Amino acid sequence: MPVKKKTPLNLIMNGLFNENPIFRLALSMCPAVGISTTLMNGFLLGIAVLFVQVASSCTVSLIKNYIHPKIRIPIYSLVIATWVTVIDLTLSAYFPTAYKAVGIFIKLIVTFSIILMRLEVFASREPLIPSFWDGFGMGLGFMFGMMTLGFIREFLGAGTIFGHQILPSRPLLFFILPVAGFFCVGFMMAVYNWVEFTYKRIKEKRMGT
Amino acid sequence: MREFPKIIIGLTTACLISAFFMGAAFVFTIKAKRYNEYLDFKEAMYGVLGYSHKNPPPEGLQFHEVYRYIIHEPKRDYMAYLVPSKEKGFQFIALTFDGRFLYTRPVKISKEDARQESEREKVLKELLGKDTKFSYASKFIIATNNGKRFAYLVPGEFPGFKTTIRVLLALDTRYKILGFEILEEEEDPGLGGEIKRKYFKNQFKGLTYEKIKRLKVIKKPLPEEYRRCLEHEEEFTKEQIEEIRRKYQDAHIYALTGATITSNAVTNGVKNIVKKFAYRIKILDSMIKKHKISCAI
Amino acid sequence: MRWKKFFLFLFLFLFTKAYPSSFVMKSSFLGKDKIFVLFAGPVDKKIAEDKGNYYIYEKPDPDIPLRIKEISLSEDRRSLTISFYEELNQHVPHVVHIKNLISEGRKIGPVVFSVKKSYAGFLLAILIGAMLVHNFVFTKYLGLCVFFGTSRRKSTAIGMGITFTIVMVCSAMISWFLYHYVLVPLHLQFFQVVMFIGIVSLIVQAVDIILRKINPYLFKAFGIYLMLVLANCVILAVPLLIVVNNYNALEAFIFSLGAGLGYFIALFLMSCVREKLELANVPPSYRGLSIAFITAGLFGLAFMGFSGMSIF
Repeated sequence: MPVKKKTPLNLIMNGLFNENPIFRLALSMCPAVGISTTLMNGFLLGIAVLFVQVASSCTVSLIKNYIHPKIRIPIYSLVIATWVTVIDLTLSAYFPTAYKAVGIFIKLIVTFSIILMRLEVFASREPLIPSFWDGFGMGLGFMFGMMTLGFIREFLGAGTIFGHQILPSRPLLFFILPVAGFFCVGFMMAVYNWVEFTYKRIKEKRMGT
Repeated sequence: MREFPKIIIGLTTACLISAFFMGAAFVFTIKAKRYNEYLDFKEAMYGVLGYSHKNPPPEGLQFHEVYRYIIHEPKRDYMAYLVPSKEKGFQFIALTFDGRFLYTRPVKISKEDARQESEREKVLKELLGKDTKFSYASKFIIATNNGKRFAYLVPGEFPGFKTTIRVLLALDTRYKILGFEILEEEEDPGLGGEIKRKYFKNQFKGLTYEKIKRLKVIKKPLPEEYRRCLEHEEEFTKEQIEEIRRKYQDAHIYALTGATITSNAVTNGVKNIVKKFAYRIKILDSMIKKHKISCAI
Repeated sequence: MRWKKFFLFLFLFLFTKAYPSSFVMKSSFLGKDKIFVLFAGPVDKKIAEDKGNYYIYEKPDPDIPLRIKEISLSEDRRSLTISFYEELNQHVPHVVHIKNLISEGRKIGPVVFSVKKSYAGFLLAILIGAMLVHNFVFTKYLGLCVFFGTSRRKSTAIGMGITFTIVMVCSAMISWFLYHYVLVPLHLQFFQVVMFIGIVSLIVQAVDIILRKINPYLFKAFGIYLMLVLANCVILAVPLLIVVNNYNALEAFIFSLGAGLGYFIALFLMSCVREKLELANVPPSYRGLSIAFITAGLFGLAFMGFSGMSIF
C-alpha cells in the first residue's frame, strides 16, 4: 500500500477512522467507559484531550532535537503532565460544575497511552505542522468517539440531549449505569469492524470487475 | 556513564521549566477558581431559600457566615465561634463545652478573606499564639433582610450508601425547614440517586422542628396526590399546599423504592443537622445577648 | 534475647498508652442505642448508676452531650450498659467521661475512653472495598487499556497481576510519604500529578535495573509487564484517591494492596473467559476486542452486586 501523504485532511481522517484511538487502537478506554454518560461530559473531556494532545505534540516536536534518547519517556510524561495540570487548573477555575463530573479523569490524562504513543511515534520525528495536525486528528477522533458514546447513552438512558429533555421519560435506565459503557464501546467496535469489512468487500468487488 | 550528567541536567531543566509553567497557570487561575466556587454556593443558597429568576431575592438580603472552631490549649479545650461584628471584621467568641462564656476578642479579617480556610487559619494563629492548636468544625450562614434575621442556612454532610452526601438546609427562625438541597452525592442513579428528585427532597420542606425531632422513614408507597404536589409545586396555591401537607406530612418520610439505606441516611442526617444546630444557636444567641457582644446578626 | 525483651517492653508500653485509663478493659457499641463497658474490677453501684456522673458525646461534637436513658450495672458489678434515648450514630467514635468511680474502696477518679467500631474492621472494609466493592476495573473503569491487552492468556494475566500489585504498593507508599511530608508543608498540592507519575516512572526504572542484575530469570518472566504498568491509569488513580480520602499510612498501604489484588482478580477472571472465547463461534464483526468489552460489561454487572456492601 502506498504511503499516505501526510496532508492535514489525511491526518484528521486517520485519527477519526483508521486509527481512531478508542475504537480501533483500543487505547485510553477508561474514560470512554466511565464518564461517557452524557454528551456534555464527552464533549468536555474530548476538548481537554484535544488540547493536551495538540499542545504536547507541538511542544515535543519543537524540542525533539534536545531530548536525550535515554530519558525521552520521562520527558514526554513531564510535558504531558504539565499541560494536564494547566488544563486541570483552568477547567476547575472557569467551569466548576463541569469539572466536578470529569475531575479525576482530567488528572488521569497523564496516563493516556494514546498521547504518549503519539508523541513517540509521530511528534518526535515529524516537524511542527504535521505534528499539530496529527495531534489534532487524534484528539478529534477521541472526541468523536466520546461524543458518540455520550450521545447514545444520554439519549437512550435519560432521554435528554445536553440536558434538554427530548423523550418524555427515561427509556432505558440501564444506559446511564456505568456498566453500560463497556457494552456500548464493545458494540461500537463491532460497528467499526463491520464498516471496515463492508468497505473492503466493496473495494474488492470494484477491483475484481 | 559519561552520559549521566547530561541526563541529570536534562531532567532537571525539564522539571524546572514545567514547574514554571504550572506555577504560572496556578497563579492565574486561583482567583477565578475561588470566585466561581463561591458563586456556585451562593446560587445553591438562593435556591434553597426559594429564590430564582422568577422570584428574585429582596434588595436588603445579606448573608452572614459564622464559623465554629474547637480550640486545644495546653491546659484546656473549648469551643469558639467567629461571628461577623457590627463594624468591619469578626468577633471571636470563646465558650466552654457546657455553654459558659469564656472571652471574646475582635478579629480583623474581611468577609471575602474569611471564606478561605487558609486566611482564617492565619488570623487565628496570630490571635491564639504558638502553643494553641485549633481545628475547624463547621459553619452556618444567617440570612438577614434589612438587618432582621429571617433564615438560617446550614450545610452538612453524612455518610450515604456509597459515599458522603453533602446537603444544604434552609431553616426559619423557629427551625422549620424552608428548603432542602442535595449538593453532592454519588449514589446509584435510579436508586439512591433519586434523593435529588423533587418527590423525595420536597418531603422535607415545611417540616416543623417538633416533627423533625421525631422524623422516621416509613416503607409505604407515596400517595399520588402528595407526589403530584411535591413534583409540581408551582401549579398549586399556598393554601392548597398547606392543605395537602396537613393531610400527608407528618414526622415521617416515605422511603425511596430500592434505596432504604440511602433514605434512612438522608433522614437521620437531616435530623441530626437540625437538632445540633438548634442546640448550638440557642446557646450562642443567649451568650451574645447576655454579654452584649456587638454582632451583625 | 535483649532485643526480644526490648520489643516486649515497647509493645506493652504502647499498648497501655493507647488506653489512657487502663481501668476500662473493653468498650463497644451494643445494638442501636447502647454502649457496653467492661471494667477491670467491680465498681460501687450508687456512683456508677448516677447519670450526672457521665458526659458522653460524639467525638466531633464535644459540646453536645447525649441524653442518657438509663444505666444498668451487671450482677458482678464489672460491666455497665448505658442506654440512650436516641439511636447512636455508630459511624463516628463516641467519647465517654466518667467523673468519679470507686472500686473496692479505692478512688479510681475520672475515667475517659472512646467507643468506636473496631479499627481492624475498618481496615478490612478498606481492603475488601478496594478489591471488590470498588474494583478498579469493573466498578471504576480504570486501567482498561492494559487490562484488555494482558488478559488474553492466564499466564500473562498472572504475570501482570503480580508485577502490578508490587509496583502499586511501593509507589503508593512512597507517594504518600512525599505528599504528606514535602508537598503539603510547602503548599504545592497542584504538583501532585507530576510527582506521582514521576515516582512510578522511577520505581519502574529501578525495578527494571534491579531485576535485570539480580534475577534474570524473574526478569524474563515479568520484565515486559513493567513498562506496561506505566500506562495503567490505576497506578495514578490510587495515590490521588489516597490523598482525597485522607488516609493515614496504614490505610494507604491496605488500600493500594486491595487495589492491586482487585486488579489481579479482574485480570485472572477475564483471562479465563477470553481463553474460552477464542474457541467459541463469535460473529466476525464481534471478534477480538468487541466481544471482550461485552464480556467485561457482564462482569461489571456482576460486580455491581457488591455495591454498597459494608462489612462491619
